[in-house]
Amino acid sequence: MATQPVDTELRKTGIGAVGDVPWGTHFFMFYETKEDLLDTLVPYFKAGLETGELCLWAVSEPLTEEEARNALGKAVPELERYIADRSIEIVRGQRCYFPGGDLDLKWAIRTWAEKTDFALTRGYAGLRISASTAWLERKDWQAFCDYENEVNHSISRWRMTALCTYPLAGSTAAEILDVTRTHQFAIARRNRGWEVVETYQLKQAKSEIKRLNDELERRVIERTQQLTAVNEEMRKEVIERQRAEEALLQAQAELARVARALNLGELAATIAHEVNQPLTAVVTNGNFCSRRLEGATPNLYELRAAIREIVNDGARASAVISRIRGLLMKETPRRTELDINEVIQDVTRLLRHELTRNRVSLRTDLAPDLPYVLGDRVQLQQVMLNLIMNGIDAMSTINDRPRELLIKSAKHSDGVLVQVQDSGPGVDPEQADRIFEPFFTDKPEGIGMGLSISRSIVESHGGRLWAVAGANGALFEFTLPAQN
Amino acid sequence: MTEAAPIVFVVDDDPSVRRAIKRLVGSEGLQVELFGSAQEFLQGWRSDAPSCLVLDISLPGINGLDFQRQLAATDIRIPIIFITGHGDIPMTVRAMKAGAVEFLTKPFRDRDLLDAIQLALGRDRSRRQQESEIAVLWERFELLTPREREILPLVVSGRLNKQIAAGLGTSEITVKVHRGSIMRKMQADSLADLVSMAGRLGLPTGQLSSNRTSSSAKTG
Repeated sequence: MATQPVDTELRKTGIGAVGDVPWGTHFFMFYETKEDLLDTLVPYFKAGLETGELCLWAVSEPLTEEEARNALGKAVPELERYIADRSIEIVRGQRCYFPGGDLDLKWAIRTWAEKTDFALTRGYAGLRISASTAWLERKDWQAFCDYENEVNHSISRWRMTALCTYPLAGSTAAEILDVTRTHQFAIARRNRGWEVVETYQLKQAKSEIKRLNDELERRVIERTQQLTAVNEEMRKEVIERQRAEEALLQAQAELARVARALNLGELAATIAHEVNQPLTAVVTNGNFCSRRLEGATPNLYELRAAIREIVNDGARASAVISRIRGLLMKETPRRTELDINEVIQDVTRLLRHELTRNRVSLRTDLAPDLPYVLGDRVQLQQVMLNLIMNGIDAMSTINDRPRELLIKSAKHSDGVLVQVQDSGPGVDPEQADRIFEPFFTDKPEGIGMGLSISRSIVESHGGRLWAVAGANGALFEFTLPAQN
Repeated sequence: MTEAAPIVFVVDDDPSVRRAIKRLVGSEGLQVELFGSAQEFLQGWRSDAPSCLVLDISLPGINGLDFQRQLAATDIRIPIIFITGHGDIPMTVRAMKAGAVEFLTKPFRDRDLLDAIQLALGRDRSRRQQESEIAVLWERFELLTPREREILPLVVSGRLNKQIAAGLGTSEITVKVHRGSIMRKMQADSLADLVSMAGRLGLPTGQLSSNRTSSSAKTG
């Protein structure tokens, strides 16, 4: 739209002294000779044509359209093409003001607006005109001054540049002042060159702009400093927060490790048994071998079988120890791709004797083809350890029915679901909300961290851990997201 | 009497340990039978040969010490050698008081186990010997007449024929005849031999004092 607010794009005037100006520039020149006109207007329109503007040259006397066309043709070789596609019109000065033979300045203003619109709809960058005033009669001077004044105000909203030419000969001082007042600036020939003569308003506006610019710059600097300070503050806070989070994670890991150690302490007899059994077999088989070797004709087949068992049992003892060491190690959590069934079996293998010792029969129902989960093996083992130990403890007073522990794994919409159910007295509904709180315990020797730690481990893996109310015995369930 | 080959029964829930014990004990020329639980043992054991039981304390479902008591209650008197991963003193005391032959901590020395097994088998052998001897004595005792059974306790308590006759209201000669018949039927070489037999049969001696009371009442 012609009347859209002009942007800050600068246009080349082609006139060296003026340089680039924004859209909406309305300036003028006093001329004495044809050369004065050609000197400025030929480069003015050359620049306009070359930068894709729609051009209108209203030729002032004593210059003729013919002369203007010839002069411009020398500077712009493709001028004929521009004229043919109406990118430029070279017309007599009066043409723009006398539509029906009479002077109509309102019509002239409308014309500029419509022409600018037209230029834009045709894909031109805007409108560039040079207006002539040589035809002006003294009786119309005041009306024309008003017109120029209106153009001066309106043009700031248009993608249009206007250079008005006034004949110096015969202009009175009052008229020169009027022209100066109704334009933004003038160009004048001085010492064989052209110079820009600024009007008072322009100077004022420029100094105001400079003041505003300086003010803006000052505020930008000030604001930048404030933002920098705030940024620095935030950076510090972020670092502080990261440090606190790291410390928290470390504390949690340490607490979990201590809880594991306590758990394993409770399991000392079980662990001793798990290691001692294979060692007993190793020692006994070893003794058998040395006895046989003392004989005259040792039976090699028999010896080989015994030695094979020694090797197997040695590996078995070592596996128990590494399982325990794994649980005790002060390691930073490490996420790997895991089969949750393997985690469950790691722990049930370790607790086999503990279950036997407490006369608990274990049933497992592990779904095959479960998706892998991304998790820390030791931490998830700890969750299983806590849930199973809780189950064993819960059933320690049960003597009138079988002590049964059921461990199930299954696919779940979140990934995998693990259930641990005992046949104990179940969770007291009044305490159901509190059992996951830290330091909640109903065991005299417990520290009450098991479920709390288990829940935070499961949640840190993106899963959920909860107790199911109303089941026979206690039922704990947790989910873990599938790794993808 | 020809003796059947001795059997060592082993109850341990760990198959590796069971197999290793079988190898070691088997290398001594002993027959070994393995069981994974107390239940399996009760179903599979035999009492037709001298035997002993190598028993793990921690068994699925039942504690070894409780099982020891259960065996005693059902009159299964097999000598027991306990093996355990974590024996403590109270546990050992309890086992030994209840008649265990030995209490070994895993892993045990081969010699300790084999010695304990020999000791246990020896005990079982002599128990069986004793039991069969007593059975023979009972057979002989069955041959006695009611009157002879009445007189036997009085004889072994050291009463003179005269005293016995007075107590029973019969003649001394009659008592003497009964006494000769008792010695013959019981195949006793001497009074001391007869006293020992009566002791092994556990014949009541209370009769003696009541007889003495009644006889003294009669004499008095």
